[in-house]
Amino acid sequence: MSSSAEAVNTAALSSEGKTEKNWSMISLIVGLVGLGVAILGLVLGYGEEGTSRAWTGYLIGFAFWISILVGALMFIMISYAFDAGWSIIIRRQLEHLLSALPWMALIFTPLILAPWVMGNPGILWKWMNPEYVLSSGITVGEDPIFLWKEPWLNMPFMTTRTYFYFGVFIAFATILRRLSFGMDKDGDPSRYVKARYTSGVGIILVGLCASFAAFDWFMSLEFHWFSTMYGVWFFAAAMRATFAFTIILCFFLASRGYLKGIYNQAHRYDLGCLSLAFTVFWAYISFSQMFLIYQASIPEETFWYSIRLFGKDGSYNDWWYVSMSLIFLHFFVPFLFLLFYSTKISIPKLVGVSVWILLFHLLDIYYNILPAKGSQKADGTYDVVPFTIQIWDIAALIGIGGIVVWAFINSSKKTKPIPIKDPRILDSIHHHE
Amino acid sequence: MSNESYGLIATFDTSPAIYKAAKKVNEAGYTKFDIYTPFPVHGIEYAMGEKRSFLGGFSLIGGISGFAIGMAIVAFMNFDYPLIIGGKPIFGPIFPFPIFYELTILCAAFGTFFGMFIMNNLPRHNHPVFEYKDFGKSSDDKFMIVIETSDPEFDEGKTKTFLEEIGGTEVTLIDAPEKD
Repeated sequence: MSSSAEAVNTAALSSEGKTEKNWSMISLIVGLVGLGVAILGLVLGYGEEGTSRAWTGYLIGFAFWISILVGALMFIMISYAFDAGWSIIIRRQLEHLLSALPWMALIFTPLILAPWVMGNPGILWKWMNPEYVLSSGITVGEDPIFLWKEPWLNMPFMTTRTYFYFGVFIAFATILRRLSFGMDKDGDPSRYVKARYTSGVGIILVGLCASFAAFDWFMSLEFHWFSTMYGVWFFAAAMRATFAFTIILCFFLASRGYLKGIYNQAHRYDLGCLSLAFTVFWAYISFSQMFLIYQASIPEETFWYSIRLFGKDGSYNDWWYVSMSLIFLHFFVPFLFLLFYSTKISIPKLVGVSVWILLFHLLDIYYNILPAKGSQKADGTYDVVPFTIQIWDIAALIGIGGIVVWAFINSSKKTKPIPIKDPRILDSIHHHE
Repeated sequence: MSNESYGLIATFDTSPAIYKAAKKVNEAGYTKFDIYTPFPVHGIEYAMGEKRSFLGGFSLIGGISGFAIGMAIVAFMNFDYPLIIGGKPIFGPIFPFPIFYELTILCAAFGTFFGMFIMNNLPRHNHPVFEYKDFGKSSDDKFMIVIETSDPEFDEGKTKTFLEEIGGTEVTLIDAPEKD
């Protein structure tokens, strides 16, 4: 009797495990193949002088996914801080997503450690190479702006900071995951209180780390430029990407996964509202950054925008079209579309606009990371990196995405689909408009 | 008669009862009726067959006119008294954007606020339902439903029987307020 019951159990488990295992294996294989191609790009770019396009592409793919993960961490902590009941079933999905953070630290490692052993340490961040000739014709080592910034921008400190940021992200993700998963077993409500305290501290620490990570990883690519808005831009863009990704993720989980019948119209509506709110916030921040620099009109700040708008002769360059599409297609279209109530409750419309937002979020990442001044040429001018989408970017994007999805599936197999013993879980299940 | 009285009021004891009653009144084809409850009953607007409010339309109209007013202010002032400041053009979409933006928000808020007044027929000093002597109970522990006499389906006898059939008690005809 017992052996047959066990056999039935094992069969049920293995058949259940099989369908899920397939997805996990598929995403792992996609992830490893994509990362393999992206790392091949890093290897091929090894000997290049100046900044390597393949290395920037790897950073773009990384930036896209880390923004979603950091946004997910912030959203979890904000939900706790506001004692939000409605988002509890969504919070569990984001907790699974956070299991990818340690892998992200590993994925970032080649970018930050390779310059230590390379002949051209400035292969990604040009300030790492003191021999690099800037657009003004002098080298980084002679550049007074760099010398002034050197106490912050130096390789040992940069490496330490990078792992400190990852340490903070992973620490808060781990604490919140443990508290939430532990509650599934014993239902001890004091875990919820602890999670709220953790979130209060975490919002400040993770917020600061995300800001400084954006300064170090992305803004320092063009190290002459500075903007205090940049960290807020990264936060706003990250939250937007997170909501868009969450809507798509919950759509798949609700239509063919374990959230069927749990994730309802009211959850969708609220995620749509937050998506709209952060669309406006992203536009507000991005515009404010540009507006202040435009009004003040100081050349050491304005060049960042002028290389994104005009070519050498003052005509529009290819980044001008990207800039305009960010204003009109990344802001106005989703904003006007999301204003309508029917958009936020209709599944195809909401998922469609989320895919749209994610695509333009990627373009926003390109816009912020890729354009950079090249070295001075013989005639005294310099080139700006043009807008191209290369195989290395796509490979990094798909590869890191595969790893994130793989981590999500693996983590989601270990716990209950929703935190059934959370004190507010009924609020979330019966959530209505 | 119908000119003098406002409508028929019926009392219910529980929120599920009023919810079901609202559904039945809506299904019976009445359009001019309202429900009074001591606390918000979620989802009752769907049971009543209410459509989504047009209030968002007022916000949109307010917002768009605010944006246009902002643009008009800047255009009028800058073309009327041209002064180049900081090398910026006389008129452009970027440097005066805070003005467009602030006026968009201000007028959208005004549109929403006054739109709400218009849609709720506010301000008003009195409402005919206050003529019903027990109306105060609807803010304590009773749930009330009023079918107005101006409803095309209204017929005093039939509506009274209908309200009693669906479980209403103390079905009363509310008289129009006395004029001084």
